[in-house]
Amino acid sequence: MKIIKENKQSVDQIVNVLKDGGLVIFLSGVCYNAGIDATNPTAVKKLVKYKNRPFGKPFSIGVKNLPMAKEYAEMNKTAINLYKSFYPGPLTIVCQGRHKVAPGIESELGTLGIFVTDHQLTTDIVSRLGKPVTTTSANASYQPRPFSLENLFKNLSKKQMALIDLAVDSGKVPEREASTVIDTALEDLAILRQGKVKLKNKNEILSRSEDNTQNLGKELWQKYENYLGKRPLIFALEGPMGAGKTQFTKGLGRAMGISDEIISPTFNLVLEYKSVKSDVELNHIDAWRLQNPEELEGLGLIKMLEEKKMVIAIEWAERVTEAIRKHRDEATIIWVKIAYGKKDNERLISWGVL
Amino acid sequence: MKILAIDTACDETSAAVTENTTILSNIIWSQASLHAKWGGILPSLAQREHLKRIDWVVKKALDTSHQSLTSDIDAIAVTVGPCLAIAGEVGIAKAKELAKKYDKPLVAVNHIEGHVLSPLAQPRTENPKFEIRNSKLTIRFPALGLVISGGHTDLILIKEIGQYKLLAQTRDDALGEALDKAARMLGLGYPGGAILEKMAQHGNPNSYPLPIPMSGREKEGYFSYSGLKTAMWKIVEAEKKKGKELLTKKQIENLAASFQNTAFEHLTRVISSIIHNSSFVIHDLLVGGGVSNNIEIRKRLRKMAKQFGIKVCLPYTKKLCSDNAAMIDVAAYFKSKEGKFVKNIAKVERLPRSKIGETFPWEI
Repeated sequence: MKIIKENKQSVDQIVNVLKDGGLVIFLSGVCYNAGIDATNPTAVKKLVKYKNRPFGKPFSIGVKNLPMAKEYAEMNKTAINLYKSFYPGPLTIVCQGRHKVAPGIESELGTLGIFVTDHQLTTDIVSRLGKPVTTTSANASYQPRPFSLENLFKNLSKKQMALIDLAVDSGKVPEREASTVIDTALEDLAILRQGKVKLKNKNEILSRSEDNTQNLGKELWQKYENYLGKRPLIFALEGPMGAGKTQFTKGLGRAMGISDEIISPTFNLVLEYKSVKSDVELNHIDAWRLQNPEELEGLGLIKMLEEKKMVIAIEWAERVTEAIRKHRDEATIIWVKIAYGKKDNERLISWGVL
Repeated sequence: MKILAIDTACDETSAAVTENTTILSNIIWSQASLHAKWGGILPSLAQREHLKRIDWVVKKALDTSHQSLTSDIDAIAVTVGPCLAIAGEVGIAKAKELAKKYDKPLVAVNHIEGHVLSPLAQPRTENPKFEIRNSKLTIRFPALGLVISGGHTDLILIKEIGQYKLLAQTRDDALGEALDKAARMLGLGYPGGAILEKMAQHGNPNSYPLPIPMSGREKEGYFSYSGLKTAMWKIVEAEKKKGKELLTKKQIENLAASFQNTAFEHLTRVISSIIHNSSFVIHDLLVGGGVSNNIEIRKRLRKMAKQFGIKVCLPYTKKLCSDNAAMIDVAAYFKSKEGKFVKNIAKVERLPRSKIGETFPWEI
């Protein structure tokens, strides 16, 4: 390992080492950083070894500006907005990657972390190299972040020291918080949106309150209750945040004879309830956190559909349209759309059997 | 009493070893840590993920604590609910397998009881900072337990350890879920509760007029966050329109601060009302769950508690706030002292809607 002091020539030296697939320790926007050429697969393997962590744990990359970020990641509106409003950082924006970096940099799901900084040395290196570099703190996993070289070397093993090709000393810097990490990759609901459901023989009402919406849940239960027993019943609930999907399910559940408080299933993904009046059951599912439609079955949908006395309410149904629609033969599916009305409390609710 | 505990209630796969209430190891394997720190990614197929990790996590918990399952561990504990059914199953199956294979008694634990008792967990090393806090940590009963997380907002009366009564819960969204969703609306990813907190630190909490949920109706003893979520959504949409679909950093900070302010105000108002109207003298308030990591909520709970002469007890480390097996260990320790072991291991099954304080059928 070679150690140099940061000066005007250091950028050239760093870039030369990076070009050869080397590992360089230099100061980034937050602390001392372990940098490699993020497009070089051999260098990535070296870095994984150095960081002492399992392959598959992703690394964020440093870029020189927004156009360069766009070259390596699909920056959606939120990502661009964050880049602009949080510049000069430090901030890490997670986006859908374009798979232009070496394997191991992006996550298993293909997302890529873009490190936003105006730190001169980092941007100089990236500009001169013409490629992104990794921006991961130079400590090994589970060790403190280093704010001086001395403090870094103290916590490194001999093996790790041997992996460093060049270390650039910029002195001791004040301790700073790690950069904020914001994931924007989930922002694109469009990824999951699978084509719109058109309702034939559509019914429609205007709800003026949460109570109205709950009441509709009750009425639809009474209307479709006798379908149950032959086949399970699915209420597919579509509508934006805060539209009243959980309110609808509350009314439905109460009418079914469920005495437990019905709450939002967003966190738990599935909440199960049993009626105290009869042998019917309710499974309340939330598709909001699902990343692909197949996961609906991963939540146990198939098993639920084997129960003839089962009612399944699925919130954010529009995210998993096909995954629901394909069970048309096994279950009676009632599609319920809730939209905001003109006035604050108003909701336009339409429904029909799929 | 050395207990190995397993918790797979939801997203996290966790195993821990404690000796009485002292933590010897507490291993948490979360999907979020795999995908680096960007906690946005949530388990795709929770069950498959848990199955993949459970053996590694259990081994790591034993190795880190330097305890042998054969010769050191006295009992095995496991979360049976409330949980995501297919996730909970994985931990239960593993615990039953180990209990049979190594012939150890099994303790079944309610996940919420774990959160409530998490402030009682103690570190292995003598941490002087903790000693000071811990010296005060003799809980006087009746006490209150507050669990605030992504899935729960429960206020619980603790008559004594093992005897609980649910006093208030959310009727729609949990507090942590509301914070995560607000963050999502602001373009801060999901789950973004922690980032929302960071943004809120620089914002003005009174910059947007959000309605305090159930204002004036606190006596009803419910938490509710869905109305606030809807109000927030409307304001965010209106603000976005002003700036061509984009929010500025200042707007994000102010909206984050306003949302937190309102959400927390509602929480403390309901708790105050319940304490005020209760027929007991409450001594302590034990707080657990992921949201209890939030500095602002800690401040507000302390301020509220002070008015009633109540002491707020929080877990000594952040790791104990979110889902983890060490808290299950602590609850199991107290249950084992009462002899509440599983009588028939074959009967143990997941109870996704398990309520705190209920007696499990296999304990009778």
